[in-house]
Amino acid sequence: MHEFLTGIFFWFAITVCLVGMLVRFVLYFRGLSWQLDRVAYKAHPKAGMKGAFRSIYKWLIPYGTYGWRTQPFMAAAFFGFHIGAVVVPLFLSAHNIFLENKVGFSLFTLNAGVADFLTWLAVVCAFFLILRRIVLPEVRILTTLYDYFILFIALAPFLTGLTARYHVGDYSFWLNLHIFCGELLLIAIPFTKMSHVFLFFASRAQLGMDFGIKRGGMKGTKMAW
Amino acid sequence: MFTKILFATSATKESDHAARVAFNIAGSYDAHLDIFHVPGVPSRGYSQVVVDVKTKERVDVDDDYLEWVKDEIRTYYAKYLENGLRYDITVAIGFPAREILRQAKDTEPDLILLGGSTGDEEEAVYKKSMAGTTLQKIARSAKCPVLVVNRPAASFWGGLSNITFGTDFSKASDKAFEFAMKVAKNLDCELNVFHALDITSGATGEMLSQDEIEQKIREALRMIRGRYESRLKELKHYSMDVWEGIPFIEIVKYARDIHSDLIVMAHHSKKTEKADAILGSNVEQVIVRAGCPVISVNR
Amino acid sequence: MPEGKYCNKTPVNTPEEVNFLLSDTSGNQYYKEMKNLEVDSDLLWATIQKTLKSRLRTWLEICAHCGMCADSCFLYLVNDRDPKQVPAYKIQSTLGEIIKRKGKVDNAFMRHAMEVAWAQCTCCNRCGTYCPHGIDTGIMFGYLRGLLYQQGFVPWEMKIGAGMHRAYRAQMDVTNEDFVETFEWMVEENEEEYIGLTVPVDVENADIMYTVNAREVKHYPEDLAEAAILFHAAGENWTVPSEGWEQTSLAMFAGDWAACKMQVESVYAAMEKLKPKRMIGTECGHAHRATVIEGPYWAGRENGLPPVESIHYVEWLAEALREGKLKIDPSKRIRELVTMQDSCNYVRNQGLKNATREIMSHIVEPGYFVEMSPNKEHNFCCGGGGGFNGIGLFRKQRNKGLEKKRDQILATGAKLVLAPCHNCWDAIRDLEEEFKIGIRWSFLKPIIIKMLVLPDHMKPEE
Ligand code: HEM
Ligand code: HEM
Ligand code: SF4
Ligand code: SF4
Repeated sequence: MHEFLTGIFFWFAITVCLVGMLVRFVLYFRGLSWQLDRVAYKAHPKAGMKGAFRSIYKWLIPYGTYGWRTQPFMAAAFFGFHIGAVVVPLFLSAHNIFLENKVGFSLFTLNAGVADFLTWLAVVCAFFLILRRIVLPEVRILTTLYDYFILFIALAPFLTGLTARYHVGDYSFWLNLHIFCGELLLIAIPFTKMSHVFLFFASRAQLGMDFGIKRGGMKGTKMAW
Repeated sequence: MFTKILFATSATKESDHAARVAFNIAGSYDAHLDIFHVPGVPSRGYSQVVVDVKTKERVDVDDDYLEWVKDEIRTYYAKYLENGLRYDITVAIGFPAREILRQAKDTEPDLILLGGSTGDEEEAVYKKSMAGTTLQKIARSAKCPVLVVNRPAASFWGGLSNITFGTDFSKASDKAFEFAMKVAKNLDCELNVFHALDITSGATGEMLSQDEIEQKIREALRMIRGRYESRLKELKHYSMDVWEGIPFIEIVKYARDIHSDLIVMAHHSKKTEKADAILGSNVEQVIVRAGCPVISVNR
Repeated sequence: MPEGKYCNKTPVNTPEEVNFLLSDTSGNQYYKEMKNLEVDSDLLWATIQKTLKSRLRTWLEICAHCGMCADSCFLYLVNDRDPKQVPAYKIQSTLGEIIKRKGKVDNAFMRHAMEVAWAQCTCCNRCGTYCPHGIDTGIMFGYLRGLLYQQGFVPWEMKIGAGMHRAYRAQMDVTNEDFVETFEWMVEENEEEYIGLTVPVDVENADIMYTVNAREVKHYPEDLAEAAILFHAAGENWTVPSEGWEQTSLAMFAGDWAACKMQVESVYAAMEKLKPKRMIGTECGHAHRATVIEGPYWAGRENGLPPVESIHYVEWLAEALREGKLKIDPSKRIRELVTMQDSCNYVRNQGLKNATREIMSHIVEPGYFVEMSPNKEHNFCCGGGGGFNGIGLFRKQRNKGLEKKRDQILATGAKLVLAPCHNCWDAIRDLEEEFKIGIRWSFLKPIIIKMLVLPDHMKPEE
């Protein structure tokens, strides 16, 4: 089992995820239509790029935008969860040791304490994100089962990873389950709403270009996000 | 004297006094009377909905509605319309002052007759877009004399016997004088040329001494003589007078004093309109206050 | 009975057809027929497949259902935070649903979608700036309106409005002759007070080509005179085209893209014919958006720009005041608390926030200008945008929508509201009528004329 999960299936998951992301990313930009979207992307690449980067950058910093500022609770939960969600899988030393063994290279690694902290933070914040969905009527009306499913597949690697980390119960069972969940998530990325992991950048870039080119950017007004 | 008269009416009792005068004048000169009414003011953005000036309700404008309004007017004035009068009934949607002026531009009447629209209740609807009142707008921009009948007129047009002409020695006043002369001759009545010396501090900058006031009155009288007397001699009866005070009050008092049944004045497009946009110019004040009809002449 | 006499899928193209539709008082019959109008699901789905590209598709897919857009929508706020007014919900339950069902939706669904598209969204684009994913629900509603228009599910007044553009190339039944005649008449009416006033029609190579809103011609012609006075006082070399003078586009609110194209092409043709240096439009928000911001795309101009540089009236005013072309008598500046409405159509769609404030600095005594809160690109819709003002069927919802602007104005303490946009001006007027809060409202032109130092050559001799 462990063999399969760290062998073929690992490669399969990674490939599906990376190729899938790449294909969808390319398709996204190929699917932009200057006339239907009413944004002259090609005619003003410089203004467009400026707008795109600004819109991504602003939204990636906590409290960087009016949107984040008007909803501090949401902003905290969002960043708390996402820092863990992005940083831990990439820079966890266990992951990188695995990677080193597998492909012979590794990335910068986190110290264990930080990794634990970020993981717990992510889990707690995810809990608040779920709570928010249940408590706030304006979020409840939007929420579908699918949203819980996404939360579930996003959270599963964290919960199973933690269980394995603290050697609760049968270590190898939890580790295998963890790896399976992680791979499932990777596979889900291109095909589900998890695609936001990369399409976030595409979508923000698009609106950024819109503002950068058409909606004021070329007249020298930066959108105050 | 008149061949084509534009009578702008609300077709309610506020316009009844004006209506009497309108039909009377049209009858006596065999003039064509264009009875003009604006039933609705545009509302709701670009849509066709208007606020009915009478009911204040929102109505959709379509041909049926306009026909219905015309019928109402015809019924309302039925007793006047029997005697072979030449007339048209026209209704238009828009802001009254603007539409009256538009109609005047198209039909070029030689007199515009207004009634009843100086009161407050209609202003609520009319004021929506206009700075200033319907009256202000029309008096300022009309190319022909504008006769406003606010109160019951004591005499019928033919029976006019005494006209007050208020002057401020402007070019427009000269035009108004010509018109007053024409009416006086036509109806063979007395013409009283009057000037009110403005002694409000706004006009003079300081309080005038009695000597100064009397000095100025003499000057004004001299000006009246120089300017108008040679023409006035063409009439049987005339007089010239200068009083001091707040001009529009003095004119109203004077006209009442000598039992005038018509006041003729010039309307100025001069800055007065902006300076005291709330009070309006002299002529507008006179119109609101005078007991008799007032004609404003502009050009 | 699928297609009605009044309510059907065919656009209205001629004056006769417009009049016929108008003859149905309040659209009573029209809406009755709409209940039986058939949905052409195949056409709907085919259109979606042709026009729903990655931008909208992705928006609908990745929307996190996080509800961060809720508070940004004034209609959500004034309707007691009704969850059904959350932007994401509004669009997911309409456009999202149509797509999910591959266009197989029924008549009742389409009528519901119509109500949501025109009575629950003014396309103010505010929510788009508060969504972490950059999902602009206003844009999606614009798209949905296009689909609904194609299927004939469009409010009566909007169908008429789009029809007017098709029949007259103007939003109201104003012909080219009416336009020129009215402009000339207005100049005539004012030429004694403003010496030398003229209206140069169809002059080639002028510095400025001026375009207007047909409503001015029809009901508020003073506005034309005021424009002439200000251009004249500023010593501008300007002209108006005798054809292609209408800058607005109700077709844009209706979702009638073909009519949008026809309308804007008439203005571009005038630009190409007269070759002015610049085009300036009147104080209207959606007109600027239609002709200057969106228009180039309808007309197929790949650089996204109109044929000649085109600016909004407030930009010209700011420039004229800055350069001293127009001089203000400082003693006549506004000396009471005054606030100003930013029009969504140019503040959130072209960032025009500084020009208006520069104008304020010239015409308001320092200390008397109060900003609304929030303001600039975060300002709320006036409450009547996107066609909302004119739709009888949704009057109640519109009046409710005005409450946000009312409260914003009340909070400033100002009794005078400047609104350099026809739609906002209308909404604020209606707001006073509805709530009687004792405010006055105005465009900029009349206010500026009152405090203008006229150049000597324009003063009448005494
Ligand atoms: C793709 C295959 C993956 C493999 C082979 C893998 C492997 C591992 C291993 C060996 C551990 C160490 C357990 C221990 O401490 O003994 C671990 C921990 C963890 N993994 Fe993964 N993992 C994968 C994917 C993921 C993904 C996709 C995520 C998150 C999105 C994730 C999140 C975590 C977390 C949060 C921990 C615990 C960190 C801590 O608190 O120390 N893993 N993983
Ligand atoms: C650079 C990468 C990423 C970016 C820019 C990003 C951005 C976003 C944004 C803007 C949202 C919507 C706001 C919200 O609901 O909080 C969101 C939601 C979410 N993201 Fe990410 N994300 C990224 C990576 C990830 C990863 C790696 C995971 C999973 C391990 C993840 C899981 C989620 C989940 C579950 C939600 C829904 C939260 C909820 O239910 O409220 N994201 N993300
Ligand atoms: S803020 Fe954006 S992602 Fe969140 S619910 Fe609204 S539209 Fe969807
Ligand atoms: S565009 Fe404006 S009105 Fe429409 S949903 Fe967004 S915030 Fe609300």
